[in-house]
Amino acid sequence: MSEVIQKDTMLSYISGSVESDAKSVAIRAINERGIVALENTAFPTKKDEDWRFIDLKSITRNQFVTAEEANAIESGDISEHYLPEALNSRLVFVNGEYNRGLSSVEGLPNHVIVGNLSEHADNPHVKEYLGTITNYDDDVFAPFNDAAFKNGSFIYVPEETVVEAPIHILNVFTNAEKPFYATPRLLYIGEMFSKSTIIEEHIGLADNEYLNVPVTEFKMFTGSNVHHARIQRDSKKASHVSRPIAMLDKNAEYHSYTICLGAKLFRNDPRVIQNAEEVDFTVDGLVLIDGDQIADTHSIMDHRFAHGNSHQLHKVVVNDNAHSIFNGKIFVAKDAQKIDSFQENRNLLISDNGKVNTKPQLEIFADDVLCSHGATIGQLQDEEVFYLQSRGLTEQKSRELLVYAFALESVESMEVESVEKLLLNEVIKYTNRDEK
Amino acid sequence: MSEELSDGIKELESMIGEEYKYGFTTDVEYEDFPKGISEEIVRELSARKEEPEWMTEFRVKAYHAWKEMEEPTWFNATYKSPDFENLLYYSAPKNRPKLDSMDEVDPNIRETYEKLGIPLEEQKMLAGVAVDAVFDSVSIFTSFKEKLAEAGVIFCSMSEAIKEHPELVKKYLASVVPVRDNFYSALNSAVFSDGSFCYIPKNTKCPMELSTYFRINNMESGQFERTLIIAEEGASVSYLEGCTAPMYDENQLHAAVVELVALDNADIKYSTIQNWYSGDENGKGGIYNFVTKRGICKGKNSHISWTQLETGSAVTLKYPSVILQGDNSVGEFYSVAVTTKKQQADTGTKMIHLGKNTKSTIISKGISAGRSNNSYRGEVKISKKATGSKNYSVCDSMLIGQECGAHTFPYISSENASSSVEHEATTSRVGEEQIFYLMQRGISEQDAISMIINGFVKDVLKELPLEFAVEANKLLDVKLEGSVG
Repeated sequence: MSEVIQKDTMLSYISGSVESDAKSVAIRAINERGIVALENTAFPTKKDEDWRFIDLKSITRNQFVTAEEANAIESGDISEHYLPEALNSRLVFVNGEYNRGLSSVEGLPNHVIVGNLSEHADNPHVKEYLGTITNYDDDVFAPFNDAAFKNGSFIYVPEETVVEAPIHILNVFTNAEKPFYATPRLLYIGEMFSKSTIIEEHIGLADNEYLNVPVTEFKMFTGSNVHHARIQRDSKKASHVSRPIAMLDKNAEYHSYTICLGAKLFRNDPRVIQNAEEVDFTVDGLVLIDGDQIADTHSIMDHRFAHGNSHQLHKVVVNDNAHSIFNGKIFVAKDAQKIDSFQENRNLLISDNGKVNTKPQLEIFADDVLCSHGATIGQLQDEEVFYLQSRGLTEQKSRELLVYAFALESVESMEVESVEKLLLNEVIKYTNRDEK
Repeated sequence: MSEELSDGIKELESMIGEEYKYGFTTDVEYEDFPKGISEEIVRELSARKEEPEWMTEFRVKAYHAWKEMEEPTWFNATYKSPDFENLLYYSAPKNRPKLDSMDEVDPNIRETYEKLGIPLEEQKMLAGVAVDAVFDSVSIFTSFKEKLAEAGVIFCSMSEAIKEHPELVKKYLASVVPVRDNFYSALNSAVFSDGSFCYIPKNTKCPMELSTYFRINNMESGQFERTLIIAEEGASVSYLEGCTAPMYDENQLHAAVVELVALDNADIKYSTIQNWYSGDENGKGGIYNFVTKRGICKGKNSHISWTQLETGSAVTLKYPSVILQGDNSVGEFYSVAVTTKKQQADTGTKMIHLGKNTKSTIISKGISAGRSNNSYRGEVKISKKATGSKNYSVCDSMLIGQECGAHTFPYISSENASSSVEHEATTSRVGEEQIFYLMQRGISEQDAISMIINGFVKDVLKELPLEFAVEANKLLDVKLEGSVG
């Protein structure tokens, strides 16, 4: 036997050690499980198929400290980020730490729980499901969140309950001397025929470096329904690696929309598992990047049972030196007949130094299915630009308008009005950035 | 689904499982050669083939390169890795004949060709196809040589080219597929037995379709064919390759290398029908088909087109590629891959756009049945300097039966803002509505299914030269339709 070469682990980029001080047995067990996995799993390199194109330098050149050493927020000066629809259904986390003062969960129906995970650690649902939906394989980021999280969001929607107000999970990150890490965590349990809207936001308040590794777990019982919007507006120097996963029972509906605007390095591995017959889900994405940003999405639509519908529209605009990577997998297991799955990846490459890699992937083991994917990489059509110019717009303005229109489709899927407005502003900011 | 319909599909499935029709062997004496591989064996092989010194050194260097490389395992296929130490790297019919006419060919061999349906004697009169027949590695017969010579076309076996046209071989051999390109290309470079060499001079249109029939006939003999086709400025050629193999239990390795070079305004069309023994119902036996095929559009406005119909082999790993280096060059890939029983195919293409305004088209159709697995793996890469380039890819898969799998792994990348890439893929079964519609018009269910499958692959089969199209249809019939069609 040859000698085993000592490889870097996730812990190589963390200053000090990661230890669990959780009082809850359930959380402590997950922390410890994560630490063991971290110690035994090599940090990915470009030789790993799933990490072939991505440059992880912005993580590997750092030694991230724990968030406690970072500055906490001064006061309520994040109120501009509150959603008017969710004034009384909001949880706020500052650098991954729960902030009771800024949170407000007054406006929720009876028996709905929206709160800090560590305070509900003894809830039987938390004990039963926390950490059971994520899976590791050779991943280091999900175990890192497992190892390091201390609190997080716990959302429980009882049977046949509809939560009208959107539930706003606001993660803000403040300035700090040293780059720090944060591990936001979310556990969602939707009982039979429940319904809710979740707005998960990540906002960098300053222009500093940090590592944000969120994990969200959605356990969806029969007939439950969730609209899950994820808005990533991290600082343009931050690294964001997220692992959202949803497990769907019979007749469940899960629609997720990930909007990527910020972060120097964004890596998102959404996964939806069809765990019973007749489900319906969406894994949409909109990526608007420029400068030196890197955005990488590796999604999995995992059909394990018959009769499922899934849909994915992943739109990307790449400007300057930015680099977009997409790998969308559709799995259909043996005997999972009558699956209708459609995946679309549209890339708009508007600069000569940008780069797009895409790999839509189908792995089908059942014959009575309809699965398709389409991927395009292209530019704005000269005819379209000319048409708008002939109507009196400048070339610059014409191009902006066309990029805006390209992004619009994804923004319009937002169910919450203020979120839609906010995103439209972000799109305008992106397209009109060269204007003074 | 109606019961009748599912019965029809069952019947279809049973026909798919039809036994290999071309399983027979021919008794021909073979020269003895030790098994296994080492520098001595490579040198001995080169000596027996009476090769010049530079060729021997090329092989020895390749052998050492191969020694250092690791066997790749990234394919979407599982198989018993070939025992490289137990293979026979050289086999040639004894007393290689140098013949003036067909009558002098060993009657046994002639009989084999007849069973395969290759009327060598008739070919002269018929389609005007020159056949460079490869029988277990060594060319035994080349026809139409004179007519080709008149046009200035060189079409001969690789061994002959090494002796008679060393300047061309030296210049182009391993220029498209470098020795170290991959594990199997390195192995092939060290031990390649023979193959076809083809050179089309400037502004010449090859007067006939060139063709080679391969046939693996010696148990445990790995086949390491090497083909090199060069089209000079303004030249054009169409080359056909087809193969069947006898039924054996021991897995046989076939690791060929095919290199195409197209200079300014040249045009190369390369068509393949592959129907090697695919193993029995349980996947026992069958050929390993690990081929490296690559063409380079070196000159401006050059054009390379690959067309393939893959129906045989237990395991197929094959990615005919085009490097689009010249400005305005065009690459095409048309493929039908059919897998049945326990066959595994991982096939596709690479289109590497380097020159300006280059265009590529990929049309791939996969049909999986039985317990087989069929994967499309492709790469489209548009580099920064390849401005104004375009790619269009379609890869469709059809599944027949509940135990097979279809997979798609397309890698797409673009690095400039004036190129466009379009890719689409679908996976589905033979549509019930389609069958119903045809039946409602009075067409029998079996005919309907056969018609739908024919329609599914039509886009690709129409790219085959006429001489091949008949054979292709026949093959599909045997493979998928049987008496259905």
